[in-house]
Amino acid sequence: MKFLISLSWKNLSRYRKRTIITASAIAVGLAMYIFIDGWLRGAENESTQNLVTYETAPAKIMAAGYYENLRRMPLQDGIENPGPLLAKLGSLGVAATPRTVFSGELILNKDPFPENGSVTARVIAVDPTTDERVYDFRNAVSEGRYLTPDDTGILMGAWLAEDLKAKVGYPITIVTRGRGGFYQTIDTQIVGLVNTPNPAINRSLVMMTIQAADRYLAMKGTVTEIDLKLPLGGNFDGRVEALASQLGVPSYHNGTASIEVTPAPGAIPAEGGAQAAGGLTMVGWRDLAKDYLSIAVAKQSGSSIILILVFIIAAVGVSNTMLMAIYERTREMGMMRAMGMQDGELRLAFLFEAAGIGLIGSVIGVAAGVLADWYMVARGIDIFAMLRNMDVGYRIASVSHSSWNPQVIVIAFVVGILMSVLVAYFPTRRALKLSITDCLRDT
Amino acid sequence: MTSVKNVSKDYHAGETVVHALKDLTLELADGEFAAIAGPSGSGKTTLLNLIGCIDRADKGSIEFDGKAVSSMNRHSLALFRREHLGFVFQTFNLIPVLSAYENVSFALSLLGIADAEVKERTLAILSEVGLDGLAGRLPSRLSGGQQQRVAIARALVKKPTMVLADEPTANLDSETGESILRLMQEMNRKHGTTFLFSTHDPMVMNYADRLVKLHDGAIAGDERRK
Repeated sequence: MKFLISLSWKNLSRYRKRTIITASAIAVGLAMYIFIDGWLRGAENESTQNLVTYETAPAKIMAAGYYENLRRMPLQDGIENPGPLLAKLGSLGVAATPRTVFSGELILNKDPFPENGSVTARVIAVDPTTDERVYDFRNAVSEGRYLTPDDTGILMGAWLAEDLKAKVGYPITIVTRGRGGFYQTIDTQIVGLVNTPNPAINRSLVMMTIQAADRYLAMKGTVTEIDLKLPLGGNFDGRVEALASQLGVPSYHNGTASIEVTPAPGAIPAEGGAQAAGGLTMVGWRDLAKDYLSIAVAKQSGSSIILILVFIIAAVGVSNTMLMAIYERTREMGMMRAMGMQDGELRLAFLFEAAGIGLIGSVIGVAAGVLADWYMVARGIDIFAMLRNMDVGYRIASVSHSSWNPQVIVIAFVVGILMSVLVAYFPTRRALKLSITDCLRDT
Repeated sequence: MTSVKNVSKDYHAGETVVHALKDLTLELADGEFAAIAGPSGSGKTTLLNLIGCIDRADKGSIEFDGKAVSSMNRHSLALFRREHLGFVFQTFNLIPVLSAYENVSFALSLLGIADAEVKERTLAILSEVGLDGLAGRLPSRLSGGQQQRVAIARALVKKPTMVLADEPTANLDSETGESILRLMQEMNRKHGTTFLFSTHDPMVMNYADRLVKLHDGAIAGDERRK
């Protein structure tokens, strides 16, 4: 065995250039694998964080009718009298805030805007005193100021404002329909611009106070949702389901399933709390971010295909090297077999050689991948220029970071060696099928 | 004693059948220094390959001290060659990445001999073949004659029953060739190892104690000279 290892190592040094070139192919493949995986993982982690912090919240309570027609945002299907539910959430130690979301047409009049026009927008009405318990918009104000409870103005996403050529202080009109279907025209003013790490928010946000929306839309205290802050890690679904049970909310949508929840004794409806036509439902962030998650899955699949191609190229490189190594040494193999070396020992010698190439490639590839990861984790890459004008689905507005994934680093290292051994196995087996006399005749 | 009994071997090239050996019978006593001579295509290499257990006869049998090797499987044959047979090739066939010492010790490593004994026996045989001080050299830094000496040392180091050499001097100039033959003869006398080598060179035939002449796959003459 010692001899076989020594022979393999010496053969690797004998064809140093070839060894380095082949090992480099493996190294490039592994480094790309580690780098791309780390980057995607980092982008996903950051995206999820930004999605939950600025868009979906970890979970929401909605009226079942509103949830079923989420795209239409029907105000008549809201949560009436949300006070007791909010109080119960408070008593359970869950941070919560009410919101009303409706669609409207933003009317832009020439002067101060460059041209007359209109834009369809999703308007989010928030309670400025409680919204910070769940979201983080106050710290994201880049110009102007945050909303106050008696505010009649709006906050606007910084990129949307830039696209509309709007500035703080500009008047703007929102045309919408109130609860019951009547048309309402809201004359308001931009009081602040919001620049968050979430490009979807920067690109589309129009935010006003829930107090103003209540008046304009004749909501009479009804809200369309209650947003909850819950820790994301661990058994998230289990926690949401347990909370739904305590609140007497009979169902939970987690993105993959609709779960019926058995209300716990003393749950809200028994106390005559919040009411909604068709009852309430709990909705997890994964359900609200279905589009984003399916894009993320598609991206991962695309990246996997690229990675598989990279590995195939590396495998072809190793295979070619081993083919050349084996056919160049056919006579040598014949001599060794004539001297009594068993086929298995000879095969092992070539597989050790392939493993050596894999080991060198793995060490270099993992080192390069870790180095690239280290830079990406510590510094990241500013992808603002790309994301400003293109929606790639990720909720990252400027600097994208990687995340460490030790499991993938270990897998990459092992795969580099195993792949090399695997692709060397077949040409070795083929060469060993030649008779000794044919091997010795080889020129 | 090595016995070749009624051995035949054919080669097929498409429709053409070449009868390399035809019902050939030959006996070799232990310690003989024998040459197989004959023109190209007479069956010299085929006979050496069959006796060397690296090819199989179509008919007949080959025995070493009564042990039939023709019926052994691939694995047993490899073990038999490893233990009992040494080979010297026309083109030396040394492993280019290994030093002279490593090329020789390789034969002992295959037998699972302890490192200390491997070292002792390897250095001793290298000294016997006249390669003192060259043990660390790679084949590329040795002359043709020196490389063939390494090959002879590699064949002899495991103390085989027989050494088979296929035209061992064909790639050497006549002076070096003669020195190699003298070395083989010396080793045969000293260790009592049977040497069987093929040649078509009259000078080489002169060194043989026994000359077996082949023609068209059959024995055309068997001459004992000493």
